[in-house]
Amino acid sequence: MVRAGWKWTRGRGTKQLPILICAVIAVGAAVAGRTHAVFFDSARAALSDWSAPALSGLRAPLTAMQSWTGSVAGIFTVYSENAQLRQENAELHKWQQVALSLEDRLRRYQQLLNAVPDEKTPFITARVIGESSRPFVRTMILNAGTANQVRKGQAVVDQRGLLGRIYVSGENTSWVILLTDLNSRVPVVIEPSHRRAILAGDNTPAPQLELDVGEGPIRSGDRVLSTGDGGLLPPDLPVGVVTGNGENARVVLFATAASADAVNILDYRVPEPPVPADPATAVPAKTSSSATSPAVAAVPPDSRESPPEEPDR
Amino acid sequence: MTERSPALFLLLAAPSRLFGRLIPILVALLLVGVANLPISFTGGLLPAPALALAAIWYWALARPSLMPPYAVLLIGLVEDLLSGGPPGLWATGFLAGYVLIDRQRKTLLEVNGAGNVVSFTGVMVVAAAGAYAVASAIYLRLLPIGPLLLETIITVILYPLLQPVLHFADRNITRLVRSAG
Repeated sequence: MVRAGWKWTRGRGTKQLPILICAVIAVGAAVAGRTHAVFFDSARAALSDWSAPALSGLRAPLTAMQSWTGSVAGIFTVYSENAQLRQENAELHKWQQVALSLEDRLRRYQQLLNAVPDEKTPFITARVIGESSRPFVRTMILNAGTANQVRKGQAVVDQRGLLGRIYVSGENTSWVILLTDLNSRVPVVIEPSHRRAILAGDNTPAPQLELDVGEGPIRSGDRVLSTGDGGLLPPDLPVGVVTGNGENARVVLFATAASADAVNILDYRVPEPPVPADPATAVPAKTSSSATSPAVAAVPPDSRESPPEEPDR
Repeated sequence: MTERSPALFLLLAAPSRLFGRLIPILVALLLVGVANLPISFTGGLLPAPALALAAIWYWALARPSLMPPYAVLLIGLVEDLLSGGPPGLWATGFLAGYVLIDRQRKTLLEVNGAGNVVSFTGVMVVAAAGAYAVASAIYLRLLPIGPLLLETIITVILYPLLQPVLHFADRNITRLVRSAG
């Protein structure tokens, strides 16, 4: 009988060589993935484009099954949920009146101040055809791509708030980096303190707040909104609420990928800088604004096509 | 009745033999596809398991000639491509597990039953550690270990369920290769 024992058998040189070569290729792929991400992203986009019809077909019965099991489970909690919803509804009616009143007041103030109205951000509606939940990556696949004007960096939202950003865009599909993903870094503002922070995903359901600018206190329940800093995301998108205090604050997100079905991809563009006056027709204006015009002129006209902050992929 | 010529027989047998020899890699790639189906049965609460490692473990032990390191590298790279993560991550992890299997083959072949599951757990832990090391190096920080532990546990729980499938595929390899000559 052979004696069982835990021995480290040393392979001969020729036997070890293939493993060594493969290990070098694997590490090389990891390095290349960092330096030449476009190649791998293109391969991913092509793969998701190719498999999109199958993914849509696979997801439909599963969504139906989840909806059915959710309905069955809901029967047992319907009474308590109904009572809770009645209470919330009454409170929301009160807040609706407050919001309408404030909206009207804001409109009047804007008219009085002759303020520039907020531009409406155009959007593309897409369906979620897949999601990936792995230890080092949290993504979602959408059935819209470059053929639908979807571009890398665009914000993805549902009716509750910000979900993430596009990081790979194929012809008919695109991959979304979720706010919970390790690579996600989004500039946010915390209300009511107006303190600015970076929302950093760490693959947990509640991303971290890396406090950045400002002095105000951070408390549980504070609202977190996008800032629009860097020109990548539109400002004031609802993101979530703060949980925890101070430096250990995290954010419970309003929108989660698990319950997202149809989403909007926002085609946000930074407003165009003012066009400098034509020197031939406006000579006096040129001389009067010469001190400030270089800063404006330094912004290239197509700067919106190359946002300063790209997803770190 | 005409007698079949040996040349024609060899020509007809070659695809069957080749397919038989490719079964381990094809099964592993199929498991990569299943694990990376972009559908979450748990609403994103639990990470997807590394099912392909079960196939690598099975054939690296039972038929090492049909699961060479190049095949393990390919399986790992496909896993990385489909999972959306950085390339090289699971390629390195699977290779780390493969090295352990390769070095301890004699010992691992002697264990059965619960010991088999414990040994697979050891290989999965080594593979996860390899992937974790590469991920931490890529992201230049120590990453949270919780999701990876969860993936390890889920993979180990599912491993006994995969064994009959792997046995079935292995029997077909024998049948195809023998029938071919």
